[in-house]
Amino acid sequence: MQILKKYPLLILFAAFLIITSIADMFVSRREFSEMENRYLEQRPKFSFAQLWRNEYTPKYEKYVNDQFIGRDGWITLKSVSESALGKIENNGIVYGKEHHMFEYYRTTDERRIELNTGFINKFIGQYGEKTPITVSIIPNSYEILDDLMPAGLENIDQQAVIAKVYSELDSRAKTLDLEPVMRRAVAEAKKNNPQSFPGTESQIYYRTDHHWTTLGAYHAYRAFIQSRGLQAVELGALEPLAYYVDGFYGSYYSKCKLFSAVPDTIEVYDIPFDSITIDGEEKSTLHDLSKWTVRDKHAGFLWGNNGLTVIKSENNLNHAEGETSRVLLIKDSYGNPFAPFLTYSYDEVWVIDLRSLPQKMSELMEENSFDDVLILYNFMNYASDTNVAFMTY
Amino acid sequence: MVFSSILFLFRFLPVAFLAYYLTPKRLKNLTLLIASLVFYSWGEVRYFPIMLSVILVNYLAGLGIERFRERKKLCRSILVVSLVFSLGFLAFFKYTNFLLQNLNGIFGLSIPYLGLTLPLGISFYTFQIMTYTIDVYFGKIETEHNIINFGTFVVLFPQLIAGPIVKFSDISAELKDRTITPKMVQDGIALFILGLGSKVLLANAIGSLWTEVETLGFTAVSTPLAWLGIIAFTLQIYFDFSGYSLMAIGMGKALGFTFPQNFNYPYISRSITEFWRRWHMTLSGWFREYLYFPLGGSRVKPLRSYFNLFVVWFATGLWHGASWNFVLWGLYFFVLISLERLWLKPFLDRHRLFSHVYLLFAVVMGWVLFAITDMGRLGVFVGRLFSFVPGSDWIFYLRNYAVILVLGIVFSMPVLNKIRDKCPRITKWFAIPFLALVFLLSTAYLVDSSYNPFLYFRF
Repeated sequence: MQILKKYPLLILFAAFLIITSIADMFVSRREFSEMENRYLEQRPKFSFAQLWRNEYTPKYEKYVNDQFIGRDGWITLKSVSESALGKIENNGIVYGKEHHMFEYYRTTDERRIELNTGFINKFIGQYGEKTPITVSIIPNSYEILDDLMPAGLENIDQQAVIAKVYSELDSRAKTLDLEPVMRRAVAEAKKNNPQSFPGTESQIYYRTDHHWTTLGAYHAYRAFIQSRGLQAVELGALEPLAYYVDGFYGSYYSKCKLFSAVPDTIEVYDIPFDSITIDGEEKSTLHDLSKWTVRDKHAGFLWGNNGLTVIKSENNLNHAEGETSRVLLIKDSYGNPFAPFLTYSYDEVWVIDLRSLPQKMSELMEENSFDDVLILYNFMNYASDTNVAFMTY
Repeated sequence: MVFSSILFLFRFLPVAFLAYYLTPKRLKNLTLLIASLVFYSWGEVRYFPIMLSVILVNYLAGLGIERFRERKKLCRSILVVSLVFSLGFLAFFKYTNFLLQNLNGIFGLSIPYLGLTLPLGISFYTFQIMTYTIDVYFGKIETEHNIINFGTFVVLFPQLIAGPIVKFSDISAELKDRTITPKMVQDGIALFILGLGSKVLLANAIGSLWTEVETLGFTAVSTPLAWLGIIAFTLQIYFDFSGYSLMAIGMGKALGFTFPQNFNYPYISRSITEFWRRWHMTLSGWFREYLYFPLGGSRVKPLRSYFNLFVVWFATGLWHGASWNFVLWGLYFFVLISLERLWLKPFLDRHRLFSHVYLLFAVVMGWVLFAITDMGRLGVFVGRLFSFVPGSDWIFYLRNYAVILVLGIVFSMPVLNKIRDKCPRITKWFAIPFLALVFLLSTAYLVDSSYNPFLYFRF
């Protein structure tokens, strides 16, 4: 006790350092961080070759960092401190009004956008004669909810870039401009629910995630169907099928880990269907219901990003006796909550994610015929995805 | 391994220090040597033999000079050989590609560049080692016979990779015999925590603003944001560098060594001359003692003394990096210091406010030269600073960084010292909670670090 009084800092510091270090060595290692929604670094295997190339030690440092005792608690402590310092950005995520999070997105990959537009044009050149092809780039949340953004943050003007992409497309392509659609959807949602917070059901984009909500996807669906001169299902007809999954902390949260984040609610419609086949395997539900209980809830929609998904149903409001109408949706993860709505306008809904398509696109296009093709990507993914090229294989 | 990492704080630090304290006195240097070699190899195992060979050559040179003390010519040759050897490695690794670049540029050649990375800390340990051999040659210090003591001096992990540049004479007595008291350890811990906080909580937090301005591209930012960016860099480099030095000094103290002070609130200076007496003091001290004075210093004809000054600042610039902008940066200080010497200094002394404004402006402009290695981009950035480009992009950044920038400005002045001197009682009570908070927050920021650069890989 005497020594503690005389050298308090020395004793406290040494004790803290030693106890924490020893405890840290015995704490069990985690594979996956729910909070950050990512796999954590595991102890690297030692080899002299790796050490020599300076590859071992950085991995080991990352491992110690990722597995440090009380990691989630430390992350929260940092978040509290950052808030106290008035910071409105962490790890590329900015905090807007009404608890909305947005991406810090000041630069974009113009070359990648040009390449991807080129791939789409090649695709249209191959199949555009016999099949109507619609191209639609979804603006991300900050572009539409600009009034909720922090003042002075000048992100990329997505609408300008999207308009340029549309102007560079093969003239046979139809384009579906979603910007006015999404703006109208936001305005309508606000009107129906003037106290927009905390009424999550009326969100068009999630607060803590980069995706659009099911409602946002519905509005895009209706706009697409109307542009094709078909009949779309009314929201009122879907409402009895709705259920809600609470406590959704999305990808924005996983990046910034803001301690005061307000979770989202996911709306799901229990849409009837005859069969759903994912990469040849038949499933009994439209969505992976087990995901509603874990952190990465959005991955439940349509069982995540799979190569080829085929949904058959008797929902089609445009059904013609003796005919089977077919739509092909080429999409990223924004298409997962979107695709089920299409069952109300086509007999068969074929969904492709080029990031995990097991077969060649050309084979698929030759073996099947489609009444409509919709290429649907969100802007940020369109500006970064390297798999769009598979469209031309 | 960098000090500001979880691995260092919660693995290396407790193990190395416990081993050190538990070792009997006569073996303490060996423990330190081994710990330091592990520390060095962790970051760069391949260049380990280079450091070893430099240690060996200078150790033998010291023995040789002592042995042949009477034979002046031989002694001189030994000194020259050891200097060429030490500086040779530094020159080869640091400046070969720079030289090739210039040759290719001037003569339109296309000599392929060497795929070299700079050995960790080479600029620091080369300068440290040279102080030994030169001082032995001039008879200022005794030859060190114990290779463990000598090796420990060179690789001592606290100051190995980012200074301060410790002269052999600074710690030669402590290498042989030192006492370690609990008081020293405790004071060392306090300095270490303050240094860690400077690096992790201030430098990293402020520095990301400059990095963002760089990523946006200088053509895309408004004039106010350009100024915010360079002010952020000004604070970042100070807290990063002085924080590193403070951590080193603190650890040195806990090991029983008294390392020289390296930073003394440089931004409160009132002239560039004074600034360089407060900024990276061990480097400017080294150049003064081992380059400026040998050239004759200022005790020569005026013209020659300015030439000496020119050489020193050319070298200082080049030491900071193998690129023309660093040379330009050094010569920029040559010009300002010459001007101050000629007529500006008395004027600055008379005008307090003006001298502060002048110093800060001159230093910030210096950091512009320092931070941007590409001449074309440098021009663009200077254009942004001085020909007004309006915009509202700065609002977001000012809002995001305002508090931390203010904290940075406050702590770049001797505020804590003032509080300590004015209210010693309160300081005593608040010191421990304050240091505990700084340490816990630093740990939290390291666990969740999105930005933790090591700025001295070029040095």
